[in-house]
Amino acid sequence: MGEAALVNEALAEPVLRVRGFCKRYRRRSAVEGVDLTCARGEIYGLIGPDGAGKSSLMKALAGVLAFEAGRIEVFGVNIDSERAAEKVKDRIGFMPQGLGLNLYPELTVEENVDFFAQLRQVPAPALAERKQRLLKITRLAAFRARPMKQLSGGMKQKLGLVCTLIHEPALLILDEPTTGVDPVSRRDFWAILTGLLRERGITALISTAYLDEASRFHRLSLLYQGRLLDQGTPEQILARTPGSLIEFEAMDAGRILSRLRETFAQVEGYGARMRVFVPGCEPAQAKIAVTRALDGQFKAPLRSAEPELEDAFIALLNERGLVADDTRLRLPTDPGPVSDHQGQAVIEARGLCRDFGDFRAVDQVSFRVRRGGIFGLLGANGAGKTTVIKLLTGILHPSDGSGRVADADMRGAGQTIKARIGYMSQAFSLYQDLSALENIRLYAGIYGLDRKTTAERTAWVIAMAGLGGFENTLAGQLPLGVRQRLALGCALVHRPRVLFLDEPTSGVDPIGRRRFWEILFHLSRRDGVTILLTTHYMSEAEHCDQLALMHAGRIVADASPQAMILALQAEAGQLLELEVERPLEALALLEHRFEGVGLFGRRIHLFASSPDAAEATIRTLMQGAGIRLTALRARTPAMEDVFVYRVLALERGQGAP
Amino acid sequence: MTSPRSLPMGLWWRRLWVMTAKELLQLSRDPVLLIIIAWFFTADIYIIGSGVSMELRNATLRVIDADHSAASRELIHRFRPPHFRLQGEIFAHQEGTRLLDAGESMLVLEIPAHFERDLQAGRSVDVQLQVDTSNTVLGTLATGYASRIVAGFSEDRVRRELGLTDQQLAAVPRIEERQRVWYNPNQTDPWFMAISELMTVVTMLSLMLPAAATVREKERGTIEQLMVSPLSPFQILFPKVIAMTLAILGGTAVAVFLILIPVFQIPIKGSLGLFFAITAVYVLATSGLGLFIATLSRNLGQVSMLVIVVLLPMLLLSGSWTPPEAMPEPLRAAMVISPLYYYIELGYGILLKGAGLDVLWDSLLGLAVLGSVIFSFGVWRFRRQLG
Repeated sequence: MGEAALVNEALAEPVLRVRGFCKRYRRRSAVEGVDLTCARGEIYGLIGPDGAGKSSLMKALAGVLAFEAGRIEVFGVNIDSERAAEKVKDRIGFMPQGLGLNLYPELTVEENVDFFAQLRQVPAPALAERKQRLLKITRLAAFRARPMKQLSGGMKQKLGLVCTLIHEPALLILDEPTTGVDPVSRRDFWAILTGLLRERGITALISTAYLDEASRFHRLSLLYQGRLLDQGTPEQILARTPGSLIEFEAMDAGRILSRLRETFAQVEGYGARMRVFVPGCEPAQAKIAVTRALDGQFKAPLRSAEPELEDAFIALLNERGLVADDTRLRLPTDPGPVSDHQGQAVIEARGLCRDFGDFRAVDQVSFRVRRGGIFGLLGANGAGKTTVIKLLTGILHPSDGSGRVADADMRGAGQTIKARIGYMSQAFSLYQDLSALENIRLYAGIYGLDRKTTAERTAWVIAMAGLGGFENTLAGQLPLGVRQRLALGCALVHRPRVLFLDEPTSGVDPIGRRRFWEILFHLSRRDGVTILLTTHYMSEAEHCDQLALMHAGRIVADASPQAMILALQAEAGQLLELEVERPLEALALLEHRFEGVGLFGRRIHLFASSPDAAEATIRTLMQGAGIRLTALRARTPAMEDVFVYRVLALERGQGAP
Repeated sequence: MTSPRSLPMGLWWRRLWVMTAKELLQLSRDPVLLIIIAWFFTADIYIIGSGVSMELRNATLRVIDADHSAASRELIHRFRPPHFRLQGEIFAHQEGTRLLDAGESMLVLEIPAHFERDLQAGRSVDVQLQVDTSNTVLGTLATGYASRIVAGFSEDRVRRELGLTDQQLAAVPRIEERQRVWYNPNQTDPWFMAISELMTVVTMLSLMLPAAATVREKERGTIEQLMVSPLSPFQILFPKVIAMTLAILGGTAVAVFLILIPVFQIPIKGSLGLFFAITAVYVLATSGLGLFIATLSRNLGQVSMLVIVVLLPMLLLSGSWTPPEAMPEPLRAAMVISPLYYYIELGYGILLKGAGLDVLWDSLLGLAVLGSVIFSFGVWRFRRQLG
């Protein structure tokens, strides 16, 4: 196996060696005793949610952050002083966190590249050659003269990468390069990055908050709250956390979910689809356990599926007792009416348009959301999702079209609508210098609740968000997950009928995200709150009852997740997953033969209209090239496959980058 | 909605109150802002009030005395502290020029040879005084003081020459200058400077604080949260102005009762209540300008720079640096639109002259009209920007 060779090489000649790294900010400990070693040519991942300590570790490695204890060696140089750091800095490329934050918005693409080249004293002929090559690979060549601030999120990130690579570093340190980037741009970014690294033999240390990106790494470390949970290849980590994933469909999702939660810690519902992770069990045993937990209340075929790293991550947290006891939700019951799914439309958009100067950000958008439904707006960065939310919430006025929100007309009844909706932005817009309680009471006051209702609702929000013990903590000092639930609570304090959420889960750890979704389900199913949200997490999109895919300001698909997956299968064929020895070579061979070929770590996904014929072709191709095919199986496409396939098709149709 | 619907008016006021309380709470949690406010209303006013003087103090003087006589020494010693400080004697013309060029001396007094002999012979004599007037105010003052000293010297010489007694002198008809100073009888500069600084501080903070509070909501994204709530733009903005006005009035009270009255012993002639009332009106007016600044800025840094851009012309047009009468005609006309001009008229009028509304009503009216125009403009800009 190439993997074994890599690991051996790692021990022989490490590019990075970290021992017992500790970092404190004032009295707060950010990282406690992390060890890791990174071999030449390796893509090493640091995975963990916000506050795991990824950025601190990466800054220290790049020589821009002092640390309290431990030893860091980069290219064999012990980084114990600023002078030592200077010795290796010219061989390191560091891209800090934040979309395009290291770039200059007013400068053009080319000026940005030139600036970084001059900073690194790249000679002119070398600069000309590298600039041409890198801009071509990243498909930014056509935008040389465009100011950086006018690029889309994905393009900014690629330009950041070009600027980081312009001095041909031997070690690349990228801090969350894909956060806030849509799935298509993320894939594109990874494809370019892996290609470049392989070609130049560059070692890379990359952090991410997306656990589904884990398969992109040769090896990785799972971090949580400054501590190392596990490290190794993705396969090793999965193997060390045994367990089985059981899936099934159930109509009465809410009741089944709460029943299963009494027995299992990791239960999720994606619409009608239930997903249970049973730790430490073989699939057969797991099925028996689930059947027993359901206690004959429900009869349907149970399927076993492969657990993903996110399941392992949460299982690890549970196993180590790192999950606080109150994580299990005890949602306060609310005397609200039960949802009726057949009800009339609560949100209705009819031909909404919005222009900014010459640019049409939202173009003829129409959709309906029924009472108690969860509606997801998907799309690449800049597709117009946030603008749609701003139109419906009355922050922006439409240039054309009309709509109804919570039984009131968008144009005539702005104030009525505002009193009936709740809104939460991606920034979790709380007043950081006010305590949790003060934030809740402020919004209660703004919405004009009387004293008695304020007390009731405050108690409800505190119970719902699990804020007990945090009541008098300043919002800015709350852990991210708690802050997110507090923001949700503030948006719900006046019992809105409609809830708008703009990327409500960005940066929150998987447990926090799951918990957040449980609350959303509760609201939608029990209280009949209609929810409209946007997200970049495609696994979350599957939780929605209905999805609309936006591209360039238009809605290009509007259906349930299941219907979207079925439509994709009908159109593109069966999704096949391949495990091969030299995935990049295999990818190049397959790309011309099949539709929707994409790399997921070392696995390849592709679509085939006739799976049997495809399998034969694949085997012949691999044999011809001398590439060992270790596994080939049919898979149900996930929302991410749908999203990538659709958006890529649209972009090809447009001839846009 | 489950909440019983309160009277619309009651709800309106309640929202205003809730938002104002929030602003005050946020202000009380911001130690840096609190320190800034405390500094400006105490230490800053004290330093400016006691440090800056319009009098000539310690002007450095060197002498070229070619005569070395009793008369020359008498003249030299009339250049006395605290106005002048004699640095000593030099012996060459060029040395004097060099010292003036280098800024080491401000004045060089040159007394010719035979100064005393010529005086005794009844011939008139010239003395030369070279003055560095790169600072016009100080230069003019120094020249004025010096000519008074020389005039006094020659008057005394004349009296001695003629041997006149005081009675005889009284019989000589001459115009005697006797000044009677109103409002600030001892002409103590601290009175003027401290009040003027207080007004400058009030101006700066009422531009800065509401603008900072507004732009902070923009930066944090909380403004969107407020925009989707049933608050009107006025209900979002006005509480900031109320809260900051209260903070500034509090600061003004500290400045008046801890600095102006006890330290500088300014006798407050008029009604302090009236003074605080017009300060409130003035702060409301100026914070409208601050809100306008907030609509132009994306962050706090831009707010600070724009505040400077607005503050300097306001000070220039206020009449606190230059009296209105001394300004060119277009600038004098422009003063009508500077709220600080009215505030200074009103402030000095009340504090030092003891004037009441019967005298100052026109300034107050001007301020109120200007204030409502500016404030409505600020809210309008804000509404348009987010609408």
